[in-house]
Amino acid sequence: MLKSTFTPVFSLFPAKPRTPKLFYYSNITNTFKHNPPSVRRNASSNTILTTSTTPLSQLTPTSAYIHLPFCRKRCHYCDFPIVALGSSSNQPDDDPRILNYVQLLCREINATKVESKTNPPLQTVFFGGGTPSLVPPKLVSSVLEVLRLKFGLSSNAEISMEMDPGTFDAKKMKELIGLGVNRVSLGVQAFQEELLKACGRAHGLEEVYEAIEIVGSCGVENWSMDLISSLPNQTSEMWEESLRLTVEAEPTHVSVYDLQVEQGTKFGILYTPGEFPLPSETQSAEFYRMASNTLSDASYNHYEISSYCKSGFECKHNLTYWRNKPFYGFGLGSASYVGGLRFSRPRKIKEYTGYVQNLENGVADCCGNDSVEPKDVAMDVVMLSLRTSRGLDLKSFKEAYGGSLVFSLFKVYKPYVESGHVVCLDEHRRVVPADELSTALLDVDRIEKSLAYIRLSDPDGFLLSNELIALAFGAIAP
Amino acid sequence: MGSLSRASKTLKSVRHFSLTHPFPSIFKGNPLYTRLNDHHFGLSHGFCSHPRQNSKENGIDLSNYPTERIRNFSIIAHVDHGKSTLADRLLELTGTIKRGHGQPQYLDKLQVERERGITVKAQTATMFHKHNFRGTDISDVQDQPSFLLNLIDTPGHVDFSYEVSRSLAACQGALLVVDAAQGVQAQTVANFYLAFESNLTIIPVINKIDQPTADPDLVKAQLKSMFDLDPSDALLTSAKTGQGLDQVLPAVIERIPPPPGKSGSPLRMLLLDSYYDEYKGVICHVAVVDGMLRKGDKISSAATGQAYEVLDVGIMHPELTPTGVLHSGQVGYVVSGMRSTKEARVGDTLSHSRSVVEPLPGFKPAKHMVFSGVYPADGSDFEALNHAIERLTCNDASVSVAKESSTALGLGFRCGFLGLLHMDVFHQRLEQEYGAHVISTVPTVPYIFEYSDESKVLVQNPAALPSNPTKRISACWEPTVMATIIIPSEYVGPVITLCSERRGQQLEYSFIDSQRVFMKYRLPLREIVVDFYNELKSITSGYASFDYEDAEYQQSDLVKLDVLLNGQPVDAMATIVHNLKAQRVGRELVDKLKKFIDRQMFEITIQAAIGSKIIARETISAMRKNVLAKCYGGDITRKKKLLEKQKEGKKRMKRVGSVDIPQEAFHELLKVS
Repeated sequence: MLKSTFTPVFSLFPAKPRTPKLFYYSNITNTFKHNPPSVRRNASSNTILTTSTTPLSQLTPTSAYIHLPFCRKRCHYCDFPIVALGSSSNQPDDDPRILNYVQLLCREINATKVESKTNPPLQTVFFGGGTPSLVPPKLVSSVLEVLRLKFGLSSNAEISMEMDPGTFDAKKMKELIGLGVNRVSLGVQAFQEELLKACGRAHGLEEVYEAIEIVGSCGVENWSMDLISSLPNQTSEMWEESLRLTVEAEPTHVSVYDLQVEQGTKFGILYTPGEFPLPSETQSAEFYRMASNTLSDASYNHYEISSYCKSGFECKHNLTYWRNKPFYGFGLGSASYVGGLRFSRPRKIKEYTGYVQNLENGVADCCGNDSVEPKDVAMDVVMLSLRTSRGLDLKSFKEAYGGSLVFSLFKVYKPYVESGHVVCLDEHRRVVPADELSTALLDVDRIEKSLAYIRLSDPDGFLLSNELIALAFGAIAP
Repeated sequence: MGSLSRASKTLKSVRHFSLTHPFPSIFKGNPLYTRLNDHHFGLSHGFCSHPRQNSKENGIDLSNYPTERIRNFSIIAHVDHGKSTLADRLLELTGTIKRGHGQPQYLDKLQVERERGITVKAQTATMFHKHNFRGTDISDVQDQPSFLLNLIDTPGHVDFSYEVSRSLAACQGALLVVDAAQGVQAQTVANFYLAFESNLTIIPVINKIDQPTADPDLVKAQLKSMFDLDPSDALLTSAKTGQGLDQVLPAVIERIPPPPGKSGSPLRMLLLDSYYDEYKGVICHVAVVDGMLRKGDKISSAATGQAYEVLDVGIMHPELTPTGVLHSGQVGYVVSGMRSTKEARVGDTLSHSRSVVEPLPGFKPAKHMVFSGVYPADGSDFEALNHAIERLTCNDASVSVAKESSTALGLGFRCGFLGLLHMDVFHQRLEQEYGAHVISTVPTVPYIFEYSDESKVLVQNPAALPSNPTKRISACWEPTVMATIIIPSEYVGPVITLCSERRGQQLEYSFIDSQRVFMKYRLPLREIVVDFYNELKSITSGYASFDYEDAEYQQSDLVKLDVLLNGQPVDAMATIVHNLKAQRVGRELVDKLKKFIDRQMFEITIQAAIGSKIIARETISAMRKNVLAKCYGGDITRKKKLLEKQKEGKKRMKRVGSVDIPQEAFHELLKVS
């Protein structure tokens, strides 16, 4: 129902972006009577039109991100909203800061408006941080309980937790498993003592091996090894070693993050990307290729720019992001995407506390203030889907945003299809050669018939994804 | 050719360089930037937009001022020798403006003039001064006769000879202001000869005598040796302290002859300048040479034959002051219902429609000596730029504008300027007054190419010259200038080296005094348009003073230098250079581009070529990696912002084939000489 109502609006958008919006107002507000009412009632007509995004994002979220910000110390590359507990806190079980925070977090979850009692239960929960494994299992349990009561929690939900070596033992691991945690994202980052030290990790190599052992011995079937490439003074040999040891540890999932030097971090002060002691751009690109080759050879699928997995072990929670599906976000600095609106919570405890209070008093909502234009959503869809090996689904994209947008996207990408950075696929996911694309481009209808997906190639297209996605942005919003 | 010439000043002129404008590169330290207080570019609106309508109250009866009670004079000086301040003091002294009421540099109205401390717009002000002429025995000041003095604040200098001749044509004398500490400078020399050749009475004024380093006697000696001016004729003043100022106007009245016009003859007046006023339309500045002009008269232009009715007439005192009449010898304004300043041809003779008169000797038409492409920085802003240029040229008819298009920059304009300062001021006014952001292409000078079939072309845009012509080029000519350089003698060596590097030919070399050398050079105009003055200043620790006037064309071995990106020529980067310099310039262009074009998804070859011969080459290897790791916790907004910024960055770039060229690359190319 929703889809058919919205289609006329969107098919007009690319051709006539300035079409007076009031005309659609009544049409759309009628529609909204049947719509999840998470859209703000006080929104302007403009906002109402523009929040009417793809039906996908209008669904009730079935994913929740939970931010647990505590760390023993801040890593040198980190610019997330975290709370460093310091070395004094050897007993995080009793740390009042954690307890208070989790209580606040639960209040936020409880204060969140849920419109319908018949909503589907949560399918994925992701505890991210920070270092969620520092939080005592009994507090994790309370969070899960609140989620269960509030939204429902599917019995086969994917419940992931980011865990750092040295912050948990087998006992804690087992307790967490008992609570329902069934996926572990292990923050190993490197297999070299000197690199761990250089990036300010709170653990050493010994803890890394211990942690891998615990995860294995406790029977966690679905776990991810998280690595960082392009660390200062990292050599090809070190990277090769890290990749080899990763493959030997046999995780079902590997995340490889290329180091981002962020402003305001210790690395940001000390280093310039591409300059010594950081690897050069060429070398860093080489690291990316090495990861792609090594892991592919070990039968991992490179299913997203920085994610690899054994068949069937994609991180379901992250897929929510890449597919532009809605998700809840709870906790300090966390982002949510509900009712077509993205919203980021305050990054400081004080402001966040105020936010939760306002939420409870009904003077704040979690929908954000930005009005969302259809082309913004189109950019989100392109940006997110092109990160994945599945790529952009042209059929649904065309239905939502119109054929002319698909056409201009192809026009922009044509030279990069020829150069091999972009790959076109038909509905059976067979590669469409570049010369066939040229003939397809002559006729909009033929694009539709012969092409079903476009994706970035691995590794060349992935490596230049920013450039390529920025080009797509230019095609969508010139 | 009537253009360019410029002089210099010393290091303290640095303050003029602080302003921001869209072409920061090539003009830094250019003489045109700093110098001269007197430039007229035919730029526009002056102090007259809100006229007083109170002639009656003023009780000004111009019939009381026959020609023998009129003096028309201008002030000419090297930049910063105190011309504008002296003008302010004279206006105050005569009560034309109240002391402390007018802003400093009263006659400089434009933002660009105030920022740079230069005059780009000529102005005229009428003053009245009582003076006991030739010491007649009148003791009571009230009984002393009143004189009408027109201070014509126009270029005292040769920047644009037609403009200069215009201002001097309305004068019978000039105050030659020289700084008591700096002495005679290049522009002083040029100023002097202009006034001298126009048979003007010259009153030397040695100004700033309050300075501790003032040496009036040395300056007197220089004036004697260089210009044969009698030391006893020099007035010693300080416009700052007021010392000696009381001598200035008496000297003007006593020494400068009255205008020579015949009041009984039919009306002939010279159109000195025009500008567009939003409320009144075109306002013309005129000098009545013969006869008399009244409100309501029908007048005709000798140049166009068009007839107009005089709707308003008056003097600038100092704002528009209607008087209903102008007598011979007087200078004032006329409003006549002209629709555009293009109808008001500067130098034209205006007369009564019913009478037939011999036109006054006119002025040489403006010659455009520097050409440059002006393009909207954002290609979609063409209409906005078009509008801005139309509005601006309405007040500055001396810029020639023709639409052109470039594959790299899209639709734009080829503009011809009288000189570099003119170009610079034009750009600055486009930005300041009309908010237009532009990319300018490398300024070029007009070359003449002759083909084997004896056909000749004037090339104002290098891109228009075929890189591989079907006809053989048999000869090329380039414009030259006559440059005056004055420097302390210890810098002679490096300056001679610089001039010969710039293909200069020394014509004169002499000592002004024991420490300073005067040199004359013929230099190709192209060699000085970019960074010559900068270079000259740097090798002389800022002590050189420099001025030039245009000279004739010379035959020269010229070639067109193309810049190619991935084999495709970038029309907006083409340039014409001397064959012997092509290698060096080509190398420099290629290196600059390599520095300012970022790595892109494909490898980029940058080449400089003469015809099909590649003379310099560089490559920019393909981008290796441009990827963001994960979207932490699904927070994609930051990442999206980054990518949007990247997209916007691309939008600002100019695309040639598959290569994105940042705007800075174009700006940087302006710096390559």
